Amino acid sequence: MDSSFAALIRPHLRFLPDDADLAPDAPLRSLGLDSMQAIELLFDIEDKYGVVLPDDKLSSETFETAQSLWQAVDATRQQTEAA
Amino acid sequence: MSVPARHQVGPADSADPAGRVDLTNLANLVGALRAVIRESADATDRDAEFPVATLAALRRTSLFGLLVPAEYGGLGGSVRDMVWVSTELARDCTSAGMIFAMHCQQVAALTSYASPALRQALLPRIAHGEVYLASVTTDAGKGGHLLSAEQALAERGDRLRIDRTAPIVTGGAHADGFLITMQAPGAASAGEVSLVYADRAQLHTEVVGGWDTLGMRATESVPMRLTGEVPADQVVGRHGGFADIAIQSFAPLAHLGWSACWLGTASGALARTVTMLRSREERGRRDLTSELFLTRLSRIRQRLDLTNAVIQHAVDTFLSGMDPTTPRQQLLLNTVKLTASEQCLAAVDELVELVGLRHGYQRQSPLRLERALRDLRAAPLNYANDRLHFADGRLVLLDPEVRLA
Repeated sequence: MDSSFAALIRPHLRFLPDDADLAPDAPLRSLGLDSMQAIELLFDIEDKYGVVLPDDKLSSETFETAQSLWQAVDATRQQTEAA
Repeated sequence: MSVPARHQVGPADSADPAGRVDLTNLANLVGALRAVIRESADATDRDAEFPVATLAALRRTSLFGLLVPAEYGGLGGSVRDMVWVSTELARDCTSAGMIFAMHCQQVAALTSYASPALRQALLPRIAHGEVYLASVTTDAGKGGHLLSAEQALAERGDRLRIDRTAPIVTGGAHADGFLITMQAPGAASAGEVSLVYADRAQLHTEVVGGWDTLGMRATESVPMRLTGEVPADQVVGRHGGFADIAIQSFAPLAHLGWSACWLGTASGALARTVTMLRSREERGRRDLTSELFLTRLSRIRQRLDLTNAVIQHAVDTFLSGMDPTTPRQQLLLNTVKLTASEQCLAAVDELVELVGLRHGYQRQSPLRLERALRDLRAAPLNYANDRLHFADGRLVLLDPEVRLA
């Protein structure tokens, strides 16, 4: 996972204490990622990485953890670059 | 663009698995065609001109042969494929989608009802993109009412004499062949209607007026007079038997095809709008967390999901081989048309409300909402909803048990 990716997610997780690390497998929902926050996060990802996640990646599985979300972003980024 | 999620061939071609459509290929063909449509859509709408570049691409891509069975060189697609392609094409231009869908409606009638000789002569030409079919079913006195005709075919030995004036013939100036409804020779009433095929070369065709409308401008649906003679075996189905074709094939495919186009138009409008709303520039201007904004957006999407669900259900029912002449089947197919024409128009109207004057009402806006709104305004009029409700009311009385299809 890109180190700056955690920093991108952090502002959207209001229940993650400032002094705590974001574990790659921590459930984002319980850290405060609700549906509106997920949209904001998606926009941040699009702006920073220049990728738009395809519809079929926008599942709860993708948004479950930082790791799963990163995998989706990274895969899409590689596909976009290859195309 | 995504590949259609599932595919089910119709009862007619289910025995021929080799004839199934390659969906990836279909998606590629549609993608190429949409690029052509996008390039010309503004000009054809502005000038109320038939999209000749799109017509050429439809011929070239073999999509005009979508419903032609594989044994005649066609793609062997089903009504489900027709619905999917129509929806996709109409995302960029309702007229282009309608031209395609209505051609497919004619092909389906020929495939099911033409004599073996006519099928053999015509279907391969359609598959090769040589024949774009127009439908001549309107009469000045009766509008779009399918089941009667004012002018009669005359029998001359083994030939049929055609003299037909029609107030609206979509693409008539560009069609290569015409499926024409007329009174059967010697008909006792206007209700004895025959369907007859005529090649452009067999007719003298005359465009007798113009087409300058609020929307659907690129369909160039002109009034025409067609005169000529064709061999008697170019009657499609039996003489006076058009009512069967109408109820089994013409009307179901019209309602499904039109509705697919309207859904495509509204989906394209919503897609362009959401893409714009999500853009970084626009996000800075607008509060995307606004309850009013999100609620409106949701209602618009709800209309499209509802329409899609009704269309897909009707396609399933139609392909299941259920008798389309029963009241519940006819009611369902009419509901498709009524629902799509109302919901898609309302969806785009609400989109205009959502984004306001600049993005929603200006002709130059890349969202093209004003064009979608003009095109969709024709939907409730294209075989008028009032008339359909009038027919539905009678069908409701025929089904006292209320068995829903």
